[in-house]
Amino acid sequence: MMQIYKIDGSDVEIISCPPEDVRKGDYLIIEDVSTDKGLIIQVVNTGYANVPGILEDILRESSASGIEGKDFDVLNMRPFVDMIKDAKVFSCKIRRALVKGELSYDISWTPFRSSSRVGRLADEELLKIAAIDQTPSIHIGTSKGGAATAINLSSIDGKLNIITGKKGSGKSHLSKLLVLNLVAHGGPCVVFDINGEYTSLGYTEDDVKTSINDAIINIYPGVNFKITLQYAGLGVLLNIASSVLDLPATSAWEVRRIWNTLQENKNLSLKSFGEAVDRISNNYVRDAVLRRFESLVSTGLFTDNNSEAVTLEDYLTKVKNGGALIINLKGLPSSFRQVIVEFMLSKLCSMLDQWFMRAVFLFAEEAHLYLKETYWEDIVTRMRHLGIFTTFITNQPDSINESIYRQADNIFLFNFTNENDLATVSKATMVDVETINTIAKELPPQYCLALGRAVNDFPLIIKVRSLQIKTLGQTRLFFSNLSIQDKNERSQSRRESHSPDSLVPSKNLPSIQDGNRNKIKDRQLRI
Amino acid sequence: MEVTTLSQQTPRDFARLGRGSLEGIIASSFKPKTSDLFDQDFRSLNDKLILNTNNEDGVIDPITLHSLNDETPVFGVDTSNIELGETKDGTLCAVRGTIVWRENGSYQYVRHGPFIFHISEANKQALYNTLRQIHFNEDEAVGAPIVEKMSDRIRGILERWLQRQICESCEDSLLLFDGSLTTRTVNGPISVLGELLSAARSRNNAVLAISKETSLSVAGHRMADLIDNKYAPCLLDIDRIALSQYGSHLHFFGRIYAAKLISSCFTFRLDVDRKIPKEEGIRAVERLLGNDLIAENYPETLRLAHVLSRFSASEVLAMQRFVAENYNLKVICRPNIRQVLFGPYGGFSAMRQEGADGYDADLQD
Repeated sequence: MMQIYKIDGSDVEIISCPPEDVRKGDYLIIEDVSTDKGLIIQVVNTGYANVPGILEDILRESSASGIEGKDFDVLNMRPFVDMIKDAKVFSCKIRRALVKGELSYDISWTPFRSSSRVGRLADEELLKIAAIDQTPSIHIGTSKGGAATAINLSSIDGKLNIITGKKGSGKSHLSKLLVLNLVAHGGPCVVFDINGEYTSLGYTEDDVKTSINDAIINIYPGVNFKITLQYAGLGVLLNIASSVLDLPATSAWEVRRIWNTLQENKNLSLKSFGEAVDRISNNYVRDAVLRRFESLVSTGLFTDNNSEAVTLEDYLTKVKNGGALIINLKGLPSSFRQVIVEFMLSKLCSMLDQWFMRAVFLFAEEAHLYLKETYWEDIVTRMRHLGIFTTFITNQPDSINESIYRQADNIFLFNFTNENDLATVSKATMVDVETINTIAKELPPQYCLALGRAVNDFPLIIKVRSLQIKTLGQTRLFFSNLSIQDKNERSQSRRESHSPDSLVPSKNLPSIQDGNRNKIKDRQLRI
Repeated sequence: MEVTTLSQQTPRDFARLGRGSLEGIIASSFKPKTSDLFDQDFRSLNDKLILNTNNEDGVIDPITLHSLNDETPVFGVDTSNIELGETKDGTLCAVRGTIVWRENGSYQYVRHGPFIFHISEANKQALYNTLRQIHFNEDEAVGAPIVEKMSDRIRGILERWLQRQICESCEDSLLLFDGSLTTRTVNGPISVLGELLSAARSRNNAVLAISKETSLSVAGHRMADLIDNKYAPCLLDIDRIALSQYGSHLHFFGRIYAAKLISSCFTFRLDVDRKIPKEEGIRAVERLLGNDLIAENYPETLRLAHVLSRFSASEVLAMQRFVAENYNLKVICRPNIRQVLFGPYGGFSAMRQEGADGYDADLQD
């Protein structure tokens, strides 16, 4: 039996005696029969009720411990005493009111203790009341109670999402699940893959191609993705040169002059650009521009060879109606990563501005490793309006600016044990600190606390469902089991029959030449 | 003594009479009492003994004790009672009692209860006399005390029953009673305690009674101040002074000592069965020193008996729930008139003073 003990603002304490098996994250409903209203409350903490005399009981038991004896408990009182001792108190937060079956944000009223009943709200019932899973939706797992849980596509369409949690808690897994489901629903996705763990999204655990294999396109910048200067454009080049390579303004002016001259002469190429840089009369400016130019050339991203040059449009056309471009940044030097990302974002903005496509879902893993701070605001404001809907995935919550958290529409919070990490998330999210601190701390792996529009502002613990795809994001171990090692070796040999050629989906796009394949392997070896 | 020996006996009719008394309250209203756990210890005030002596120069020499470890079993008995709440007709109370014994260095116990009684003006007479008849073999009906005192009387009967158990079952043992070996000389079954002591003696047991609450004073001085720690362990024979002042209206079955068994700030009143020779009585105390643990001047056997008998607040809540559920009682919360009228000035301490009566009024047998 559960009864209201206290209500203080949005905090409610419920006494349960005999104690019910209610856990953190579970939902309860207080139904006030006299007013036909209800309050939906969520348990954020559980503990023993402060029953008077418990300390004395414990001390007495310890005092008499080890004494053999017999109790003539003729009234069989022991179960009653145990029940009192085990009485629990559930600290809850009011999430919403229910007035005549309709959800209401008005929680300013207080139910009557005398006429209120407290009961459990089954997960299925909550999902129904909250209308979380209205179609079209993405089935992301099950609630703690085992109810199938899906989130509405509209709740992540046009929204800013954050997936955060400590290492190994299941962030990337959820991110992959979202990518695959968006692809399946016809959504175009771009993934900045810092660890190269999304590259096998098109394969099952047994290395068999999935039905959407062709829609998963892996881009290896500098290998199967090279562009001409002409395609990059002056604006993008100057952006990269100034923001990534710190080119001074005066030198940037010289770059602009060279670019315009070469453009007018219809002679814009890496070669002619390099020669023009050599002819700059001012030694300081020449050296400054030359160093940046050489840096850009060394990335291998740019080419004068039109046969190996591609455009982002070529790839995006393939994923426009459902697909994912996996930009593999694994093993790339930091500055190269930044060049790639700068280029991609600039181009994406330009393309979206010209309505090349309606929108794109951008997944950025550990974005602080390749995104300059100045870009964060830009992504969540300007780019969002252009149609870049970003999902940040990070295990360092403090790497994301507080203002980003405040603008996030959805947060999928996995386990954190570090107090500072929790504090970072809690001070800027849409729910109270206590919910974050008590629930997130005890989430098992693969469980997340979903906050925001995806769950209609009902914080919900979700067990993320497993994916039948090949996972590459696992931590490499030294003392791995031999049988697992054998299995991986066998798997690798099968994999080579697909990769990397089979990952290049279109005959219109350049295939990876032998030399380039070696570059990929070299790069992987460097890691 | 094995636990099975003592555990074969149960206090006859306590459960039956308790249940019977509760049958009369089915579906009535019940106001649970906010548990005041100190209530359980008031009865110790019964053993308060204020001795006055004009013997200004009469120095009482302490009797020095020597610990004697001879593997004598030590048995202790203690009981508790507590009020659970009010019904429209009376009160609900619970009693419980425990025997603890130490033998071969280890402690064992047998605990009886709780037994819950509903006591009203209508049933108190029958209840009291039935219990007396069964347990004291007293066929003559006597007037029952007021309802508020009944739970204490029932506890007293349970305690005597437990004491009888050990007196009639044990041999060559030390039997520790909580309180004193004193009864009123009027309106009480003096014979009960006498019979218990006689039964104990016949089996070569020595009965010692220790009063937890020490309000023992001689000539205005607290006894604790009269015995210096340097004499511990020792006894102070104050029997003659007690007899001279209270002998006319109290019956002292025990020889009265002030006992300081170890160096501590406490001195307790210790009664030793008067009918065993004085030297043998002192020797019994020495055997107590050698065969039981003594902490804060109090034997561990009795301490455990007290600990196991005493009701905790959670047990009180559990019993209140038990009666409410099993007898379909409607729990009500009546305002506390005293608090309403007097606020903080009519609080608990004033009520407690009312409940704590003097020595004469509280003696039960």
